[in-house]
Amino acid sequence: MSEPSELTAVRRYLAPVGGSTALFVALVAGCSIYAAGGGSSRDSLVTQLLINAVVVVGIQIYMGNTGVLSFGHVGFGGVAAYVFALFAISPERKATIIPDAPFGLTDAGTGPVVAVLIAIAICIVVAVIVGLGLVRSGAQSGAVAATVITLALLFVVHEVAVNWTELTGGDRAGLSFSVGETLGSLWPVYLVLFASIVAGRVFSESRVGRSARASREDDLAARAMGINPAVPQMAALVLSVVIVAAGSSLRVYELGTVTPKFFFLDYTLLTLTMLIVGGRKGVTGALLGVVVITAGNELTRYLAGPDVNIAGLDWLLRDGLSEIFLGGAMLGFMILRPSGLLDDWELDRWWFDRWRRRREHAPPPPVPAPTAAPASLRAEGVTVRFGGFTALRDASVAATNDTVLGLIGPNGAGKTTLLNVITGLVEPAEGAVTLDGAPVTGLPSHQLARRGLVRTFQNLRLFSSLTVRDNIAVAAEVGARYRADRARPSVEELLVLARLWDQRDRRARELDYGNSRRLELARAAAVGPVFLLLDEPTSGMSESESQAMIEQVRATAAAVGAGIVVIDHDLGFIVGICQQIVCLDQGAVIATGTAAEIQADPAVRAAYLGSRAPV
Amino acid sequence: MTEILQQLVDGLGRGSEYALIGLGIALIFGVMHLVNFAQGDLITVSGYVTYALLTAGWSWWAVIPLIVLSATLTSVVIEFVAFRRVRGASDTTMLLTSFGVHFVITALFVMFVSPNVRTFDRPGWITNTVTIGSVRLEVFDLATLGVTIVTLAATAFLVRRTMFGISLRAAAEDFAAARLMGVRSDRVIQGAFALAGLLAGIASVFILMRSGRTSPNFGETPMLKGILAALIGGLGSLGGAVIGGFALGLLEVFLIARLPDELAGLTNGVVFLLIALLFIFRPGGIVSVRHAERV
Repeated sequence: MSEPSELTAVRRYLAPVGGSTALFVALVAGCSIYAAGGGSSRDSLVTQLLINAVVVVGIQIYMGNTGVLSFGHVGFGGVAAYVFALFAISPERKATIIPDAPFGLTDAGTGPVVAVLIAIAICIVVAVIVGLGLVRSGAQSGAVAATVITLALLFVVHEVAVNWTELTGGDRAGLSFSVGETLGSLWPVYLVLFASIVAGRVFSESRVGRSARASREDDLAARAMGINPAVPQMAALVLSVVIVAAGSSLRVYELGTVTPKFFFLDYTLLTLTMLIVGGRKGVTGALLGVVVITAGNELTRYLAGPDVNIAGLDWLLRDGLSEIFLGGAMLGFMILRPSGLLDDWELDRWWFDRWRRRREHAPPPPVPAPTAAPASLRAEGVTVRFGGFTALRDASVAATNDTVLGLIGPNGAGKTTLLNVITGLVEPAEGAVTLDGAPVTGLPSHQLARRGLVRTFQNLRLFSSLTVRDNIAVAAEVGARYRADRARPSVEELLVLARLWDQRDRRARELDYGNSRRLELARAAAVGPVFLLLDEPTSGMSESESQAMIEQVRATAAAVGAGIVVIDHDLGFIVGICQQIVCLDQGAVIATGTAAEIQADPAVRAAYLGSRAPV
Repeated sequence: MTEILQQLVDGLGRGSEYALIGLGIALIFGVMHLVNFAQGDLITVSGYVTYALLTAGWSWWAVIPLIVLSATLTSVVIEFVAFRRVRGASDTTMLLTSFGVHFVITALFVMFVSPNVRTFDRPGWITNTVTIGSVRLEVFDLATLGVTIVTLAATAFLVRRTMFGISLRAAAEDFAAARLMGVRSDRVIQGAFALAGLLAGIASVFILMRSGRTSPNFGETPMLKGILAALIGGLGSLGGAVIGGFALGLLEVFLIARLPDELAGLTNGVVFLLIALLFIFRPGGIVSVRHAERV
């Protein structure tokens, strides 16, 4: 078990739903108090704020969890808005505004509820297509190609809306409801907003949401832990688009009309600024951003309006002020506080972490796993070429899970390349990798990890803004799902084993170097590996630290019953831990044997130490 | 045949503008990994300069150097005011910063000039045509193409042969290493912005002559086209951005000529769709410059 089940239920459902309810009540109460003080203009401001909150929470679910910057969500909103309007506007009204609509849409009148559902359904279809494209383009945190695809969506939707006048009413007129047909009560908004907040929080804490956040932090490391980022990205996109579609339909229903410019750059700027100012990694931040920006926008509009006349300031208090405010807010936050006001802070997570901390105690370190069934890992005749350079030449190594295999060799010998071939990051030109006799060559990293080949990285790749515990928990969830038959210690036991218990709720990026190394090792172990493949676990460590690492690696592998393949430059470490050593030089295996045999081998001495140097 | 030749020149003329803007965007991306959404605003700014000077009675020939100068200066000022402060931040942060800069500049014109379009007289000769054999070509397209080729050649010389150019390319390859080798980062980045501004300024001359108008968000379309050009070419590849710009210009002209009338308004939509498809199947662009990540 990766975590006690009653805690899982609290963490995954009870706390997020409770936290969401608190956020919702606070927001609605605040709005009601504000609206009670004034007339209908305040009412409509509050309605718009709540609807914008739905849209922004929707965008947050995708951008916050995956880290992919999307300009396209307002485009999805545009699709939803038009579909909603086309079905919700009464046929009598449509007969005058779009008499020649294709597909017999002029006569379709379904009422608003069914219209929203149709809008959502169509948006899901579009989202799946766009999402496949995003995945194909290698979407990950900061990926420019993905952002451009989303931008293309926004423009395509806008162009179609402007040009397909029989359907959309064109650029000027658009589609508008008859008087009295529009949103009459706030209840639908409350309902949709509450559902959105809950969806956002529950998703973020779910297994899928946590994998999305792990991939956001480090795509490659997530793959190496058995996560296929495409799945959580797609899930996040579809969920976020559903919510944006619902919010956009409400927006049209409230405004009573839709034209192309309602869902274009201005609304993109508005919603993105709200999200970024509040903090795009969290739902709480998103909501705070909506409130802050709405208030600021209202204030600047009031100042720029006809009611305010301050002598000497009229050059400033005029049209354009609220746009300056929005652009300036985005600019200012990017420069001074790019993670937003709240970053990824969530009320319920904060509360739950405190609550759990008080009631849990450090478990004893995990007992060694029962002797695992024999397993073997072979790489045979592996050749890798990078352009004209041959990094590996017909290299063969074999490991079993009852010994520790060391790979040594000078820099550039091909050690990491060999490990990359075994873990699916590099595809060999020739040769095969087999695990227990089954060919695994060329499988993607995440599938290899799910089969039990789990690695660490030479240059530390932690999920840096997740907590120490979540780093391990993400991997443990993969283990629970795909490696259920293996002996796997609990997350808490691994924390104790890695001597990270006291740091468990800190963010991984706050750890010092030695702790980070041990966390990476524990995270790999949490998957339940058959083989742990360690790339220079002692690089940058002092001699005493690397001696301690020997024990750490042994104890960790024993706890999960895994075999070890390890690359290192530290001969003391290698000799201390390995029963078998393979020495590579210039891409070829030049010697295989025990530590003593390797040290006596003249070829190794020549490669490593210069031809005549003593060992 | 004749028709295709005319379209070719027309497309290359259009593509010239995209290539110049795209090259600037690629230059900036190369030195600081910033996708600059504010690049088009250089054209907006120079558009208002043009409007002011022409209205004051200046001649086009006198205005041209000031168009280029104002775009260059604006580029350097934007770097100094905004981008300097997010240097080294995540790609997302920088991209959003430039998005913010774009909206602030737009809003400044709304506030202090007018939200409405400002028009000015276009030079008289731009509608002239020359006939070579049976092909009738616009003088303006030929002039655009000629000036662009000269500009690109000069840029190529600058980037390949001068110390500044070598520093620029070194910084584009590996910024940290270039710094350690003694390349002065401030200079290189300022230089890249100045050069990008200069290129945008030259493109701006043609864009403004052709359109005879400017408005607060006038630069949005050229900016998008420039970004697309740079992306088609594989962001960061200078040659790729130029190829991307010309490819985009040709694509547009051929689409306008081939699309049935009722779909002609969708040219931009189709272009975006095609480009989205390009990124889906070749995320690195035509000239892929992806570096393998070391693990």
